[in-house]
Amino acid sequence: KLNIGVDNIQHGVEGLTYLLTESSKLMISEIDFQDSIHVLGFSDELNKSLLQLYLDNRKEIRSILGELAPRLPSYHSLEWRLDVQLASRSLRQQIKPAVTMKLHLNQNENQTAQVLQTDPATLLHLIQQLEQALGEMKTNHCRRIVRNMK
Amino acid sequence: ILDDPDLKDIDPTVLKHCHAAAATCILEAGKQKADISAISTCLEDCKLDKERIEQFCTEYEKNRDALEILLGSIGRSPLHITDVSWRLEYQIKNNQLHKTYQPSYLVTLNVENSDSGSHPDVSFSCTMEQLQDLVGKLKDAAKSLERATQM
Repeated sequence: KLNIGVDNIQHGVEGLTYLLTESSKLMISEIDFQDSIHVLGFSDELNKSLLQLYLDNRKEIRSILGELAPRLPSYHSLEWRLDVQLASRSLRQQIKPAVTMKLHLNQNENQTAQVLQTDPATLLHLIQQLEQALGEMKTNHCRRIVRNMK
Repeated sequence: ILDDPDLKDIDPTVLKHCHAAAATCILEAGKQKADISAISTCLEDCKLDKERIEQFCTEYEKNRDALEILLGSIGRSPLHITDVSWRLEYQIKNNQLHKTYQPSYLVTLNVENSDSGSHPDVSFSCTMEQLQDLVGKLKDAAKSLERATQM
């Protein structure tokens, strides 16, 4: 319908893709974008459309690119259950409390579930350690870094 | 036992039988959590004299707690969490995306297997919100543990 060769269209699409992904990746400002495409010598109207295309799709492209980064399994959710062991083959008449958990993780679109167990003392230790971890983001040190890195 | 100089005059087969019998008796008593009177009665039925029964029971009492702990630790269970380590990082960029500016946590749960004693630790990354979710759930578990102990 456009009456142009297949090769030209392919190059056009590739060029456009490259332009948009690079710009989104670097998160360049409007002015930088306009300056960059100015050298291509297109008409003002075309430049305006390209800029609009960039701004409209930037967020989505960035979130897709974000999925490509190297990743460790990430937390999905946790189920827990309180158990008390009353007897075993080697010992009768026990009272042994334990917390059984199912940890759901995501790894590259696969969900894995791992069953783990811990005793009450370790559970309290885990809570204390992880609360400390959460508190770190609120310290002056971290706040300063976040502020200065924008 | 076979190397003990005090016992070298006794036939090794007899020695082995005695050892096996004593071990079985002790383990069975431990498993059933038998008290001294039950053990004494049982040994009386086996025609042991009073002095020997008393000696046996005294020794048993001395080691009873250690025995119970040992017996209680035998058995299968899911991987047991022993400790946790965490790392807080602030991501600036990666090769696919620049200016990411996201804090993220890397949490490692140190895990022990009851049989082999070692197992690769469970590691995962999470955002601050996800970590809050995790801690919230752990606190719920701890609270209901506390309530259960008060019942």
